[in-house]
Amino acid sequence: MKKDSMLYVVLFTFVVCAVFTLVLAIANEGTKDLVAANAEFATQSAVLGALGVPFDGKADAAARFAGAVSPGPDGPYRSWSARVDGADYVAVEQAGPGLWGTITVILAATPDGERVRGVRVVSQNETPGLGGRVAEPWFIGQYEGERSPGGRVGMRAGAESSGSADPDKENGRVDGVSGATRTSQSFAAIVDAALARVKEIGGER
Amino acid sequence: MKPSKAVVILKDNLWSNNPIFIQILGICSTLAVTNNLNNTLVMTVGVALTTAFSSMTLSALKGLIPRKVRMIVQVVVISFYVILIDILLRAYLPEASRQLGPYVGLIITNCIIMGRAEAFAQANPPFLSFWDGLTSGLGYMVVLMAIAAVRELLGFGTLFGLRVMPAGFVPWTIMIMAPSAFFLVAMVMWWAKSMQAERQAAGKEAKK
Repeated sequence: MKKDSMLYVVLFTFVVCAVFTLVLAIANEGTKDLVAANAEFATQSAVLGALGVPFDGKADAAARFAGAVSPGPDGPYRSWSARVDGADYVAVEQAGPGLWGTITVILAATPDGERVRGVRVVSQNETPGLGGRVAEPWFIGQYEGERSPGGRVGMRAGAESSGSADPDKENGRVDGVSGATRTSQSFAAIVDAALARVKEIGGER
Repeated sequence: MKPSKAVVILKDNLWSNNPIFIQILGICSTLAVTNNLNNTLVMTVGVALTTAFSSMTLSALKGLIPRKVRMIVQVVVISFYVILIDILLRAYLPEASRQLGPYVGLIITNCIIMGRAEAFAQANPPFLSFWDGLTSGLGYMVVLMAIAAVRELLGFGTLFGLRVMPAGFVPWTIMIMAPSAFFLVAMVMWWAKSMQAERQAAGKEAKK
């Protein structure tokens, strides 16, 4: 068959595509369980982190998750209810717009939404070193045990922000990341939305 | 003794024909990923492996590929390796995969890969093409890692995520943003070009 004939070109292209796609399909199939396990672990560690439950490694995380956490009602976003140290908490996944892309967090709070237990950032795409710092422990740690009167946590962003963590857990307010006013404000909106859903789910029970 | 072809290729790709500062290829990824050494390392290893394997595959197939669909086949092969790397990263290095996000998929748009496939693998045997692809990737990696080291050190005060700068160090925010990569790439080019020009001049003097 001539190399430049129409038939050869079509056949060759078809065979090349088929072979390479087949290999990819096999690779995808072979690693599917591992990828799912990684995603599962990522979720579990974020929920446990928000609930303030320490864990050590994948197996421990799975065991503690199974022990303390049960999935909440179905909805557009996932939610969980949990019992930690004798107290009830509700955890929800919440996504919202950041400055550049969607920020997804997992937030745990008391069922009435009046006090945050903790927050973990699942994914964000903010400016590295500025908005991206919302995922850092000093920022996220401000929410741990913070009072949220009426299901809101205030955000001191921009010129009001002290630029460092706000240590007062009773004032219902956290400090924004300096240089990332818009991301901080977006983050506060996502937290408030998450608290509203915690209240909704917590009130149903 | 005349250096072997493999050594010549290595020297070419690392220095006298470096993809970044001589061929000016793959600049977009230089801007995007070099604010942190870990990501840069994973990304550049990905590019080096993709270039090496796709050059080898295309070189092995070159007798069979009809000229009309040459580019299409090149793109299929390159994207095959990129998707494979993406799958492996997601399975075995989930953390790196999450941090790199869309950049892994964007390896495919790196001009170095197609450039080597067109310029070298078309006319050379598979193993030499593999070596050429790998060393091109190395030339890319060396420059990017150097830039990333400067950016991470000044932008975060860390290297590979470990704190090296004293606690009172104020990070240079500009180093984290894309513009700083423009300055740094330009400075690397300036330095390399003037070094090469000097050597050439010195070589001519010696011949006289």
